[in-house]
Amino acid sequence: MNTAAPARIVAKERPKGRILPREEGAASLDLVIAVMAFLASLALGGVLIANRFSETWQAGLAGRLTVQVLPEGETVPIQEVNQAIAILRATPGVLYANALSDSDNVALVEPWLGRDAVVAALPFPLLIDVQLSPGATPDIAGLQQRLKRAAPHAVLDDHGRWIGRLKTTANSVVLSAFAVLALIAVATAATVAFATRAGLAAHREIVQLLHLMGAQDRFIARAFEWHYFIAALIAAACGATAGGVIFFAAGSLDQLGVATISFLPPLGLDLAELPWLAVIPTAAAVIAWGTARASVIAALHEFY
Amino acid sequence: MRYAAGPEVLRDVSFTLEPGSFTFLTGPSGAGKSSLLKLVFLAQRPSRGLITLFDRDLARVKRAELPPLRRRIGVVFQEFRLLDHLSAFDNVALPLRLAGSHPAEYRRDVEELLSWVGLGARLHAKPPTLSGGEQQRVAIARAVVAKPDLLLADEPTGNVDPDMGERLIRLLVELNRFGTTVMIATHDRALIEATPAREMRLIDGRLIEMRS
Repeated sequence: MNTAAPARIVAKERPKGRILPREEGAASLDLVIAVMAFLASLALGGVLIANRFSETWQAGLAGRLTVQVLPEGETVPIQEVNQAIAILRATPGVLYANALSDSDNVALVEPWLGRDAVVAALPFPLLIDVQLSPGATPDIAGLQQRLKRAAPHAVLDDHGRWIGRLKTTANSVVLSAFAVLALIAVATAATVAFATRAGLAAHREIVQLLHLMGAQDRFIARAFEWHYFIAALIAAACGATAGGVIFFAAGSLDQLGVATISFLPPLGLDLAELPWLAVIPTAAAVIAWGTARASVIAALHEFY
Repeated sequence: MRYAAGPEVLRDVSFTLEPGSFTFLTGPSGAGKSSLLKLVFLAQRPSRGLITLFDRDLARVKRAELPPLRRRIGVVFQEFRLLDHLSAFDNVALPLRLAGSHPAEYRRDVEELLSWVGLGARLHAKPPTLSGGEQQRVAIARAVVAKPDLLLADEPTGNVDPDMGERLIRLLVELNRFGTTVMIATHDRALIEATPAREMRLIDGRLIEMRS
């Protein structure tokens, strides 16, 4: 019987017997984590969509101005329109300034009012779309005054208020989604902590024996933390995959033009965005690992 | 020593186990033998008093320093305390595994030891399929496999026939010959008479030196 650790090099062979027996009745924990992951994927998808939405609209409106020439009675004063266009084109930094056609106007209100004869007969203001050179910062107040003098019915809109509101809305959506993600992370951690405590209670005899035989706390914790790491990784991957399928399906419906509301952004994630959902099982596994480790080590400190 | 708010189960107990000594701890049931062993294998703290183990005053040992001390102690529990989901081989190998050894390093030693205690053909049997005597032999093999500095055994021959009991005691005597300090709590008078060793008797929580 020579059991002293010999100083020879041996091929590493991992012990086969699991220190802890397989968990019974862990399916409910897996289900809870899968549902959490599914909800987290919806929240994360919301963040991605809100970000994309905000960026697209800001990019579309940045570097543009709109001038409305309001109707006088039932008709738009064409002379004022021409003068406004002339002033705009003469302004440094303006790339082009063109009046929108009637059909463009109808297309703009179509998502809200629909397309019929009544809408077409409405007294629309005439819109002048102005594109600025990249990086140009014209004197908006001065331009506004010049326009007012030459065309009293002209109103200049630099979209600043709209972009501000859009940013606020997008930020609110993103912050809300992050709050939901944080709540889900806390709930997942609490669930795993509870499950770990239950696991410790179920295996108390074994844990106590290992402790008495001189096992370090981290050795015992490792048996638990990897169990919960793997379980959370698999369950959360299932939940996030379900979320990914929903977003992919929504994206496909958008592309087919089914169930699309034109003034809302597409509610699907594209293929380049879907990999972001892999963050969820990774985060869930890390949370489960850390929570299980902390719970076991805290519980072991109750032993001498 | 007392459990929670209960009565003192051990009091004014004072003794020294010399390194390499062999000692029997005897006494009637309920005298406190198991409690005394628990104090020595660091399962319980004394409610008062001083314990010095491996030249360390336990009151001054930090919690993080206890596992290495525990690994120097082999324990044969009265109720065996084997892990039912592990094979006899894995149960015996557990102390070596806890010490960080790899199967390739200990496989032969564990198999030899299990053969020595008559379980060479039952290496892969799980404890629930073993008889009480076989489980006891696995428990003893597990306690001695890492050649501990101190071996404590609580009724180690209680479930085996006299021949196997004698064989197991020989294993412990052999271990003692190589330097392990051994203390055995037992009722078995035949075993005590057959083994020339010190005997301490616990009666009502007090220790009496019977044979030194």
